[in-house]
Amino acid sequence: MKQLLSREGRRRLRGPMLIFGACVALSAGIGGASQWFLQKERRDAMGAGVRFQEARARVAKIQSERDNLEQSIEVFRSLVERGLMQPERRLDLVELMNALRARHGILALDYEIAPQRALAFADNRTFPAVEILSSRVTLKLRALHEGDALAFIDSLGESRQLDRCVLRRMEVANPDGLQPRVEADCTLEWITMKEKRVG
Amino acid sequence: MATHYLYLTNSRLVSILLARGQVRDARVFEASEDGAAAFEERLASVARVPVHLITDLAEEDLRPDTLPHVGAGDREAILGRKLGQIFRNTPYRHALLQGREAEGRRDDRVVYAAITNPDVLKPWIERLERREVPLAGIHSAAVLGTPLLEVLGIAQPHVLLVHFSPGGALRQTYFRDGEIRFTRLTPADHEDERPVGAMIADETTRTWQHLDNLRSFANTDRLEIFLLAHPGERAAIEPALTGFEQIAYHLLDTDEVAAKIGLKPPPPTSSAERILAFLQEKRGVENHFATPEMRRYWTFGRARNVINATSIAVLGVGIVVSILNLHGIFNAANEDQRTAREILSLNSEYDRITRALPAAGVGGAAMRDAASFYTRYIQGFPSLGGFLGPLSGVLEAHPRVRLSQLSWQATDDQRTTPRLAVAPSSLPPPVKSTGKAADVAARPASEDAPSGTFGGSRYEVALVEATVIVPSHDFRAALAEVDRVAEEIGRIRGFQAQVLESPLDLRPSLSLQGRHSERETQAMQARFILRIVRSGRAA
Repeated sequence: MKQLLSREGRRRLRGPMLIFGACVALSAGIGGASQWFLQKERRDAMGAGVRFQEARARVAKIQSERDNLEQSIEVFRSLVERGLMQPERRLDLVELMNALRARHGILALDYEIAPQRALAFADNRTFPAVEILSSRVTLKLRALHEGDALAFIDSLGESRQLDRCVLRRMEVANPDGLQPRVEADCTLEWITMKEKRVG
Repeated sequence: MATHYLYLTNSRLVSILLARGQVRDARVFEASEDGAAAFEERLASVARVPVHLITDLAEEDLRPDTLPHVGAGDREAILGRKLGQIFRNTPYRHALLQGREAEGRRDDRVVYAAITNPDVLKPWIERLERREVPLAGIHSAAVLGTPLLEVLGIAQPHVLLVHFSPGGALRQTYFRDGEIRFTRLTPADHEDERPVGAMIADETTRTWQHLDNLRSFANTDRLEIFLLAHPGERAAIEPALTGFEQIAYHLLDTDEVAAKIGLKPPPPTSSAERILAFLQEKRGVENHFATPEMRRYWTFGRARNVINATSIAVLGVGIVVSILNLHGIFNAANEDQRTAREILSLNSEYDRITRALPAAGVGGAAMRDAASFYTRYIQGFPSLGGFLGPLSGVLEAHPRVRLSQLSWQATDDQRTTPRLAVAPSSLPPPVKSTGKAADVAARPASEDAPSGTFGGSRYEVALVEATVIVPSHDFRAALAEVDRVAEEIGRIRGFQAQVLESPLDLRPSLSLQGRHSERETQAMQARFILRIVRSGRAA
């Protein structure tokens, strides 16, 4: 060891030591650089993995939405056919009342359509994409038979939800006369929907 | 990787180049100025090859001794001091540790060895120095006899190893129990006319006498003399070696010895330099005589080799790490590309699904909300006709019961009670209850006001006012009939019926009024009210 640390020793080993230093530097350099690139590639791969998961989630969501919509569209089309997805046409209802009165032999008919309002729900449910409107309709009618009254009410359609009704048998003085035997006092919700437009 | 062995005697120097267990080259140089000059020329071609110098000189001296058994540091100091005292005038000195005494203090047995005349080596060492030849060590040929005995399996208590040196000198080395004790070189005398066998017999006998004078043997001991000789000289030597009671001769064939230790080719003569050089190559016997200063070029070379090997190893590690990293990089890049392709594929799938989404003139969210509203609130909404159907079936079975009026309500609260305006009966019963709470159907008007909210209407609640026509004063029949009606309604799935007002309220807390007139009717209409709840959409 003394020989190696002597002046001559240091002089003679200078070359190998320089080569050793160069090898250490080169090794560290290429090792470090390749490690840096490897880490970078791994980070990129991780980022790509995240993007892949996001893309897969997006596709799964759109597939679910498609399945959902395929179920919804059938219901929606039936709603359109039944007139729920169109503006309230009061004249149509007036004409319908007149036609049904004649068809079911309703002797007297009074009705009142209240101003249309946005329908609020008891369970505070909201529907962000559609506006749900309703007009409360009050009916008072007299008929010869309760069957006529019920048929009249049923004919008002599914968009009009009857929620309370009083049917009362009327006392008649002359049982053989053509007089109303039944009177009905009912209220219903006339519901229509329209798509909410953003902006 | 070659190694250069120099075998030095008093008359010549033999240069042997060994590589891969074989003698590649062997040259002889006379111990003279010319020989030294020729040797220097030889060195020019092998100056970088490490050199082992084996000395087989008449000036070699061995001194057995014992030392107190002490620690390594102290022992080194004692040995250095002793060597300096005994061999003051030479740097070529060495102490061989042999073992420990069996008795007493169990001292360490030591043999001090030295080349007492350094001038013999001077011309050769100077040339090695001048050429900066890496001198690995200077070894004693006599001491190399120890590993030779070990290799040949010679383990007798008293052994005299005899071999020839280049130039014809005879080296005799005495070993007791495998430990070197004495060595002697008999130079070649060209005027000696004795046959070689007789000369060996004479010289070995003289050595035995010397050892015997030193009291090396007991009376029964015998000296086993092993002579290394070429098979070609066996016939000339063997007849003279008859031995006697205290001496036994054994001839060691150089061809057999060479084969045993793996030397190729076998030595061409009886001279032992090739065998001993090869033994040194194989066993790596420690340096005996060279000082650190003499060995410095070899030390530098070794250090350079170690540093270079370390440099290569470091570079190799860097390259291996880089290759592994590159492998990882390529894998990660491939994975990245594969993921990118999959993302592209997923995006295409997304676009395809988006384009193929069903549309009905409105957005998907509006469609979903509308459908959701419908299925939650409208689908299955109760209807009056649906409520009255099952009820009619029950009432048909009770012809005496006549429905007067019905107040029906679809609601989410099954405690709701619809409003009902009670009409007077045309045939009132002769007995009736009066008092507070008799008319249970009467409620505040505020309860009837619409709440303004819309629900799923999971319940249908109705108040049914009806009469049962029974014989006058037959309240028991009326009560029974009403109970049956309520019971039968309650049996319908989803229906519950409760008699809210019975034909005659018999509770003690109420007043009861009866009237019997002179002319009484045969029948009476007993009025009652049922509260019916249907939970068709209840969870």
